[in-house]
Amino acid sequence: MNLVDYLDPLVAALMLAGIYAAMSVGMTIIYGVMKIVNLAHAGFMMMGAYFAYELFERFHIDPVLGAVIALPVFFCFGVGVHWLLVRWLPKSDQPTLSSLLLMFGFWLVLQNVAYLIWQTEDRSINTSYTVSSTVIGPITLSHVRAIVFVAAVISVAALQMLLRRSWFGRSVRAMIQNPFAAQIYGVNERKTAMFTFGLGTAFAGFAGALLALLYPFSPDFGRQFLLRSFVIIVLGGLESFSGVAIGALILALVETFSILIPGVEASYQPAISFALLVVVLLLLPRGIAGLLEKKWRVA
Amino acid sequence: MKDRILKIAPPLLLLAVLLALPAAGLSPNLVRLFFITFVFMITGIGWNLVGGFAGQVSFGFAVFYGLGAYATALMINAGSNPFIALLAGAGAAMVASFLVGLPTFRLRGPYFVIATIGVTEAVRVMMSNMGFTGGASGYRVTEHGEFRQVEHYYTALVAVAIALSISMLISKSRFGLALRAIKQDQDAAADLGVNPYTFKLWAHAIAAALTGVAGGIYARYAIFLDPGDVFAFQKGISILLIPVIGGIGTVWGPILGGLVVGIVEEQLVVKFPNIHLLLYGILLILIILFEPDGIVGLLRKLSNLFRRNRGNSGSGSADKVLWGRSRLEGREL
Repeated sequence: MNLVDYLDPLVAALMLAGIYAAMSVGMTIIYGVMKIVNLAHAGFMMMGAYFAYELFERFHIDPVLGAVIALPVFFCFGVGVHWLLVRWLPKSDQPTLSSLLLMFGFWLVLQNVAYLIWQTEDRSINTSYTVSSTVIGPITLSHVRAIVFVAAVISVAALQMLLRRSWFGRSVRAMIQNPFAAQIYGVNERKTAMFTFGLGTAFAGFAGALLALLYPFSPDFGRQFLLRSFVIIVLGGLESFSGVAIGALILALVETFSILIPGVEASYQPAISFALLVVVLLLLPRGIAGLLEKKWRVA
Repeated sequence: MKDRILKIAPPLLLLAVLLALPAAGLSPNLVRLFFITFVFMITGIGWNLVGGFAGQVSFGFAVFYGLGAYATALMINAGSNPFIALLAGAGAAMVASFLVGLPTFRLRGPYFVIATIGVTEAVRVMMSNMGFTGGASGYRVTEHGEFRQVEHYYTALVAVAIALSISMLISKSRFGLALRAIKQDQDAAADLGVNPYTFKLWAHAIAAALTGVAGGIYARYAIFLDPGDVFAFQKGISILLIPVIGGIGTVWGPILGGLVVGIVEEQLVVKFPNIHLLLYGILLILIILFEPDGIVGLLRKLSNLFRRNRGNSGSGSADKVLWGRSRLEGREL
């Protein structure tokens, strides 16, 4: 195998990293602001996938447009979930037992309501561009992957803009850095938490809809991506957005290139994610961001 | 003295009744229900040690259950005594618990929970691809001698009694106190000379050993092991729910929760697959929002209602004084 042959998996890994970043970023902001490990993220992703599927099957709306529609819909859904359940949780600056179990219970409910509605069989979205691809030199570029990559990158960039430029974004970043000081300076903790939860849910739904373009899905869909999101945000240092991008890239590279090693089958991917998690915890407990922080602050 | 007898008498009476039950001529179906419930109780008691006492939520107990089952099965097939085989199951689970605990308990924050979600996936995939245990097609346990259901019933019952005694001893001991201190405030506990790292690690190891034994007992009964069943994420969920439903961090919670989960899994799952998980989810949300102490908390509230009429003795509210508003509230991981 010469060097050019590595170019193809490299591009594939990059494409994968885009959607990985989009699916993890929602979890990061929720953890950062509320210190809730949002296990229901998997359920929201699964709902996003079925949302795009239903729009496509019933109204022939393109799944990428469906993903964009999912953003406001899931934002409202997330705000509703926060109003109904999450706001009753005791506040803490560390993840609590009750928040974990509550979000987990909600995930179970979402998952099994989906089982009741859509049954157990795998479904997939087949558009006109699902199997088409372009060959550029040694690289085979799948159209659907490229489209998903572009959509994911635009969304993450838009989120970054929102967090950098708006008052809401500033209060989110302040809450992540120091919730007490932020409140002294006039950040409305409850409103910020509510919008953050909505935003995190919106991104979960969006990412789920995009993932539905790439993989077949069932009501258990979110789980394998939940673990990946965890590995990514741990790699990124739990609360850092730039860390998420780097973490997504590392996981995508490791997953893509591990298949090239003889004897490692694709079914070992969960084991690979887990091994990566353990290695990171042992070597870099504060993630990439912890490593970078010595040089410059990553919010 | 009288108080002591009153406290010890009900569990012993219960044990005597359960020991005598098979002689009364129970139907095989009921014996099976009891057996499965006992196995669930053991796993719940184990989970409660690390999740309830020390406050470390784990979604990965299916790993210990499955490894215990496989280790016991391998030993029995190699011709070993079943009880030594069960100990081997406990040992295998303990080793696995260190693999999860060593990297994660060193850190603060949600790392342990995250790792426990990953470890089930990873181990199930590995066991499904492993050659010498038959991979995904499962593994058969061939034990010499005829199959007697009652023997398994008694094995499981004795194991529940032992597990419950361990849980009671830990709850009363300095070790248990240290675990509760860690759950409430890790920094304060560390200041008083409790090393959170080693205490969590050992609580996790004991919990894993109990769960491994439960898996082994199940393996001897089931005769056939399917990695997609014993290592399923759902198995881990059921184990976690037992103490949560019964009353997290209480000695008797896993027993009550085990009864509920055992009946649900054995009776409801056959008739309505998937409904039970929906039920679990709703139950979990309701418990967290309204009664974090589960069934034990409900019973305590009921007994307080009655007691109020005869003048408040105050023993029921001791927990509130000791643990704040409730055990779950605002506690960090």
